[in-house]
Amino acid sequence: MYLTVLLPLLGFIINGAFGSKISAIGGSASDRRNEKVIGIIGSGVIGLSFLITIIAFFQTLALPVEERKTIINLFTWLKVSSLDVGFAYQVDQLSLIMALIVTGVGFIIHVYSIGYMHGDKGFWRFFAYMNLFIFAMMNLILADNFVLLFLGWEGVGLCSYLLIGFWYDKKFEKSTTSDAAKKAFVVNRIGDFGFLLGMFLIYLTFNSLNFNEVFTRASAFGVPETTFAFIAIFLFIGATGKSAQIPLFVWLPDAMAGPTPVSALIHAATMVTAGVYMVARCSIIFASAPAILTVVAVIGTLTALFAATIGIVQNDIKKVLAYSTISQLGYMFLAMGVGAFSAGIFHVMTHAFFKALLFLGAGSVIHSMHHEQDIQHYGGLRKHMPKTAGTFLIAALAISGIPPLSGFFSKDEILWYSFANGGFLFWLIGALTAFITAFYMFRLYFLTFEGKERFGHEKPASTRSNRGEHPHESPNVMVIPLIILAVLSAIGGFIGIPEIFSGEHGNIFHGWLEPVFKNAERKLAIYGLHTHFQEILLMTISVAGAAGSIFFARYIYLRKPSIASGTAKKFKSIYNLLWNKYFVDELYDATVINPIVKTSDSFLWRIADNKIIDGLVNGIASLIESASVVIRKMQTGVAQFYAVIMMVGIAAALFWIVLSL
Amino acid sequence: MNFQSLINSLQYIKPEIVIAVVIVLVVTTDLIMGKNKSLLPWISIAGLIVASFFVIEQFSFKAVSSNANGSIGMITADPFGAFFKIIVIVSSIIIVFFSLSSNEIKEAFERHGEYYTLIFGMILGMFFMISSADLILIYLSIELLSLSSYILAGFTKHSLRNSEASLKYIIYGGASSGIMLFGISIIYGLTGTTNLYLLNSFFHLPQFGGFIFWLACILIFAGIGFKISAAPFHFWTPDVYEGAPITITAYLSIASKAAGFALLIRFIKVTFIDSVDASGYWQLLNLIDWKSFLILISILTMTLGNFAALWQSNMKRLLAYSSIAHAGYLLLGLAVLSDQGLIAILIYFAIYAFMNLGAFFVVMIIANKIGSEEIDDYKGLGYSMPFLSFSIAVFLISLTGIPPTAGFIAKLYLFIALVDAKMIAVAVIALLNTVVSLYYYIKVLKNMYLVRPEKEMPAVLVSPAAFAMLIVLLVPIFLFGIYFTPLVNLAKSSIGLMGF
Repeated sequence: MYLTVLLPLLGFIINGAFGSKISAIGGSASDRRNEKVIGIIGSGVIGLSFLITIIAFFQTLALPVEERKTIINLFTWLKVSSLDVGFAYQVDQLSLIMALIVTGVGFIIHVYSIGYMHGDKGFWRFFAYMNLFIFAMMNLILADNFVLLFLGWEGVGLCSYLLIGFWYDKKFEKSTTSDAAKKAFVVNRIGDFGFLLGMFLIYLTFNSLNFNEVFTRASAFGVPETTFAFIAIFLFIGATGKSAQIPLFVWLPDAMAGPTPVSALIHAATMVTAGVYMVARCSIIFASAPAILTVVAVIGTLTALFAATIGIVQNDIKKVLAYSTISQLGYMFLAMGVGAFSAGIFHVMTHAFFKALLFLGAGSVIHSMHHEQDIQHYGGLRKHMPKTAGTFLIAALAISGIPPLSGFFSKDEILWYSFANGGFLFWLIGALTAFITAFYMFRLYFLTFEGKERFGHEKPASTRSNRGEHPHESPNVMVIPLIILAVLSAIGGFIGIPEIFSGEHGNIFHGWLEPVFKNAERKLAIYGLHTHFQEILLMTISVAGAAGSIFFARYIYLRKPSIASGTAKKFKSIYNLLWNKYFVDELYDATVINPIVKTSDSFLWRIADNKIIDGLVNGIASLIESASVVIRKMQTGVAQFYAVIMMVGIAAALFWIVLSL
Repeated sequence: MNFQSLINSLQYIKPEIVIAVVIVLVVTTDLIMGKNKSLLPWISIAGLIVASFFVIEQFSFKAVSSNANGSIGMITADPFGAFFKIIVIVSSIIIVFFSLSSNEIKEAFERHGEYYTLIFGMILGMFFMISSADLILIYLSIELLSLSSYILAGFTKHSLRNSEASLKYIIYGGASSGIMLFGISIIYGLTGTTNLYLLNSFFHLPQFGGFIFWLACILIFAGIGFKISAAPFHFWTPDVYEGAPITITAYLSIASKAAGFALLIRFIKVTFIDSVDASGYWQLLNLIDWKSFLILISILTMTLGNFAALWQSNMKRLLAYSSIAHAGYLLLGLAVLSDQGLIAILIYFAIYAFMNLGAFFVVMIIANKIGSEEIDDYKGLGYSMPFLSFSIAVFLISLTGIPPTAGFIAKLYLFIALVDAKMIAVAVIALLNTVVSLYYYIKVLKNMYLVRPEKEMPAVLVSPAAFAMLIVLLVPIFLFGIYFTPLVNLAKSSIGLMGF
């Protein structure tokens, strides 16, 4: 199993060290072939990892339930008094599911990237970073202790920054992609700080950082709830940073500056779910602090609603998807917050399928539209790229929660649990968000693939390099991954069919993960309070609402486009508020960033740094300098003098003794 | 002690016997082969490898011996000694390889027999220093080491610098061994014995103590302090290190220092220990306040070393002062007076051997190429000799103690030992010293990478042998920087001194 971690590292090393050499072989004439070599190495290692993970999965499946957890200890990393950190991987039901998602979806996206990144001068660099990302992500998932998890946590962050700023010389909105990367970096630091504090507190409380030991000690009694609350809130702050929740979500929309496969892999399918995974992994700690669990649910719900509303008015195809990602992550945290841990992980999985598909579809569109990303400039693309349109439609239906696609099962399970465990209000907002989601996803779909063609004439011809060329379907290397993901998005939900439909088998997915979460769930003990009738009723409401939203979107954006612009004019203030994303960026600028910049410029730099610190440093330096001059002078080179000093030294030592006697 | 037991006890000095045999072999081969000296280094390496097998055997010797009846001789064989002997052997092997690519040594081709004989003389002296449990043998082994190294320091006769170094070394060494002998004679006069274990049982008696006793101990310490270049007995170090052939400088800075430390640790622990408590702290007899004394000496040593290194313009001199500073850090490990401190010393030495030898090796190769050891001549080397510059950068960074190099782990364990012993103030002083050292190490890197050379230098290639040697030295620096558990485990299992 550890090979699944090492293979991507191998890929990174090969592509990182020799990538530039490989692409230089044979000059520019053989570009295509060299790219193929790099691409095959890059995706091949991930493919192999995926195969190994599948094998490990079936091996684990064959084991009896109690033995489905293996620890692979590669070597002891740190051992200092009671701190014992191993390079050890824990293969259990949860980490296997996550590993399958990461390597499987990762593999598909790697293959897709061979087509998408074709001709880019940083082709080898791209694959090296992507491999490094998978390596770090696998460390994060498979870690059996907090330190290794943190290593992966920081590693995926690093790759994320590298890939956001991949086209570091390109303009992005008002600034550059490297500014977007910087923003992601800084915001994530805040979250990581919280995570570190949580980790320190865990070590302080449980005297270990090993998952097994910590969780065993946490399930025992004797630790006050307030301690749990502090640990949980710190860990959750870490999760909000990585998984883009309120208030630390601002970096994710900007992260769209990176290449689209990166957005698909890192900023939709895998890395951003690391926060959800971490909360699920620490479920026992969160379950021991019910108050914080409520906070998690509230933050999740609010984020879901908040991001969905912003998504309605955005025009950049990737931005819409970015806000939709934030919103879906909100759902996952809502699931965590109401104690439906396996439902949350289920949604992580289905979301990985359909959101990766959405992003890759968007990538396919962007690719054929020569990097135009404004949906107002699309339209009628279905004729030109039917496969992309078809797969995109499946993904949009899945995310909207239309049965029997995967999104329906996972989203409805979350909504049901939030009603059953959390309360009516959580369900209401959740359902409302689901309707909005369906609406803006189909706004996106209709504006892009249906209706009149709005491209090709409004821009001056000179800015287009390939004028006269029609939008075209993408090459097979990109389309086939789309189709695979579409199949997964369509049928992926069947492994998590709720009890009421599957009867005696129960929820297979739930049953698989049950051993991981049973302690936490037992601690919460809030199950089976509602009837099947209610469940079906709620399900019907949400499906009907979603379907209604879809038809509403169709009506507005295909039949009567005037309504949309009319509404926007009528409710100008609301529209502006949404268009400007609730002015959160501006709020941060005004309250946090500007004061910091001002203080650091006027006080920290001019006074503290220039005067105090530099003065201190220079002062000490000159002190040391003069001291060292004296010491250097003593080294005269005369041997007799040295002997004298030796005697003086002995005499001084003896004198000291005499004094102390 | 009858003849039979004498024969039996020979098995405990197998490594020493091997070294003695190699000395004879080298001398006779040199005589028989005449002008052809190319066999000598290989005989040396073969001899060292054979010796290392016998040393490894000593790791399994029980640290707690059954010789409670007082029939303890002059020699001990225990895991602690084996650890230091391995350090000596490894650095000797590396030094033999250094000598193969050193221009200075190659020039004195006709005297290679002498060179290797003297090196093995040093090794024999160091082995006895590491394992001796008797003041007389301590004195003799120090003399054996010193006499060989005096000659080697002046090995390249035609160089004035060499001869001066050698002469200074003799004068200073003579003075300090005289002082040490004086101390030993006082001890003998007080107790009538020179065996450390017997001394320890004598010192348990209440009538010992007082000024004269202190005097003797400090005089003995002066002799050992000379070997490990602890302040204020360090003055010979920069002059000799600068003047001696660079292979010998590197050797003195590692092997001879390791032997000195092994001797000092054994002397203090065996002679003055009362008991070891459960958490590994040594309770010394209430005769001498070794703890304060060692702290004082170590702070003095590291501060003097670091401060003097700040303005050195010669690489060998800079490394000489830096090695004084490192002796200071190592002494702190002893000053903790605990098993944890001892573990830290062992780890530090194993890592220090690689990084210091590496630094000296690169300095030597660069000197071979550009004919200078001045830091000013290193300008722009990062571009004309990328691999050499990268290597020395790694070694210097490791010497500073910055992760992910092994030097960080060495310092980490040392500081953990200090903090665990509640010696926070001392740890802070040591830490500040590390900051000072950063300055002069980085200055070298700055010259190599940030300053443009005055004249264009052609790109220089490293010979395959030197390249391989550098890889061998670089790998442990990174390996132990990340995966250091085996080293730590080895150190933990090697703290057993005979009798404890």
